[in-house]
Amino acid sequence: MTQPTTERAFGDAKKATTYDRAVFRVMNDAAVRPAFATAGRRRAVVGAHAALTVATLTCTSLLYVRDTAWLVAPLAVLLVLWVVATGTLNGGTRGLLELRTRMLDERQRADRDRAGAVAHRAATALLAAAAGVFVLAEAVGADGLPGVPAVWVLVYALATVWLMPLWVAGLQARDEPADDFSDDFADEFQDGAADGAG
Amino acid sequence: MYNFLYMSEQVHNRLAVIRAERSVSRKQLAEAVGAHYQTIGHIERGQYNPSLDLALRIAEYFELPVEVLFALRPFRPLSDELYGPQGHGNARDRQDSADRGAR
Repeated sequence: MTQPTTERAFGDAKKATTYDRAVFRVMNDAAVRPAFATAGRRRAVVGAHAALTVATLTCTSLLYVRDTAWLVAPLAVLLVLWVVATGTLNGGTRGLLELRTRMLDERQRADRDRAGAVAHRAATALLAAAAGVFVLAEAVGADGLPGVPAVWVLVYALATVWLMPLWVAGLQARDEPADDFSDDFADEFQDGAADGAG
Repeated sequence: MYNFLYMSEQVHNRLAVIRAERSVSRKQLAEAVGAHYQTIGHIERGQYNPSLDLALRIAEYFELPVEVLFALRPFRPLSDELYGPQGHGNARDRQDSADRGAR
């Protein structure tokens, strides 16, 4: 199947800029399709991304607290892996959360809205649970609870709110419609017609 | 009072059949109607119901009435509609088919 383009005759896509078209092409790169081909693989990619996010944030906070220079090395590796995983997620969702609204069609906008709504509920529940644990621990006077600076609470909360829509969109993605004969046939037909005309 | 909650959300379509018959790829159709090619695939699989706007654009592309492509009830095979269930023409069947399409 050939790559989709942005030659849309309707809607705001007519206002697409060079940047929009470039990002659209990157987000619709066929290279990530195998990683998103099945629900199991999608769950694995989302799980790996979430784990890498937690590991990266933990490494960053440790580096900040302990000021240990050797932590820079694993942090650099984690960051590279995280960027790759984020790219895979964005490519798998066809840029649902990266492309501007005018580059999405009505089904994609509906998918993005649904992912946003579910992510909002999930992030709220997660933050409420975390807040509940802290409040409860404070109430019962737990000594084992580490003192966490407010800035790190904010960083973790920000990461959760920021990335939850991407994770949800990854989990909600559906299988790619199977290549049908007419895609190849139509291209061959057009090539043949062009040859005949020439 | 709450009848609207129980209305069918399934819109049937014969987009894949018409597209194959006209030798039009998903990408070509998608570009012509201003949609992503995945959206065409999702519509064909019944995973997404297009808006009236998109349905009309698809119908316009194929130069067909929208009810030929989309319906609230399952379509009969085109061969049945053309030649009848037993393979021979039946004027009543054709009339029924047209009526159902119109509904």
